[in-house]
Amino acid sequence: MVKKNIDNDKSLEYLEKERFYDEKIVRTELLAAPLLVFIPLIIGFLLVYDWYVRDFLENSLNLFGELILGFIISIGNILFDIPFIKSLKKFKKEQKNF
Amino acid sequence: MKKFTEQLEETRKKITNQLDETRKKINSYSFDAHWYRRVCHAFGACFLFYYMLPDVDWINIIKFWVPLFIFVFAVILEILRLKGVIHSEYFFGLRMYEKKRVGSYLFFGLAVIILVYFFPQQIAIPCILCGCLADPIMGEVRYRFGKNYVYVFGFLVCMIFFMVSWYTADLWVLFLVSIVGASGAVLGEVRKFWWLDDDFMIQIVPAVLLLILLFVLTNIGVSISFKNIIYPGDMPW
Repeated sequence: MVKKNIDNDKSLEYLEKERFYDEKIVRTELLAAPLLVFIPLIIGFLLVYDWYVRDFLENSLNLFGELILGFIISIGNILFDIPFIKSLKKFKKEQKNF
Repeated sequence: MKKFTEQLEETRKKITNQLDETRKKINSYSFDAHWYRRVCHAFGACFLFYYMLPDVDWINIIKFWVPLFIFVFAVILEILRLKGVIHSEYFFGLRMYEKKRVGSYLFFGLAVIILVYFFPQQIAIPCILCGCLADPIMGEVRYRFGKNYVYVFGFLVCMIFFMVSWYTADLWVLFLVSIVGASGAVLGEVRKFWWLDDDFMIQIVPAVLLLILLFVLTNIGVSISFKNIIYPGDMPW
């Protein structure tokens, strides 16, 4: 039964796996992991690069926002990437030991 | 006969305990949904690439149709999941309350589409950032330090996003917009409904509040200069 009060801590739990061998279920997620980590960093880099080429080299201040956004996207993603990669490593280790 | 029943009961308990232990082991051997969900959230910031695409006819057509196509595809997937054609297990990282409700990723996508289609960059970009980065940050703060810190921390993070996006505006406009936008984002995140996800609210509430604010300011004769943050790139050929 799904609880309608979503402030309830129990409802914030993730759906449990009902099957025993869940490697196949997370296979897509494991394959998508490099994309989830690297694409935001590439976008962040592109924004900084665009600022450098079209703004910094031409001595204007029109694209300063792009520079800041590039940093925000990169740093914001790295903040979550680190624990995510750690959990991924832990998962791989457990998978080997199982 | 009585002894046999007792023995049977004891064996049943042993088997149940063993099953519980095995289940615990299997649960420990699982991919961390928590961080996966957080990373997916932060990944949403990539949608800002939309604004970097060159302003050329055929790219404009792609810019209009591709997000819509992805959204419709997600709607179909969600309908199939809710009807039970696709098992919820395949939607990794779903929360318990999303099992019989539309998944939050669909609300997130809908909010992003509304923002990029109908709102100016200055409003859309900070609102998308609030949904992508401020929301998981607020979630972590709630998880680690408790609910009370969420409001202050979330407000400050969202305010930074609005200040960055409006840095070319007059100082008083910068602060007014940042305060209204950040308040809207925190309100959207804190006020929870079962039928409407906070991923939608955190993006749309500040956007609507800012639109109303700009409408009021324009009507009382205050002119606000709009300047893009991200400029479309040039075609490499």
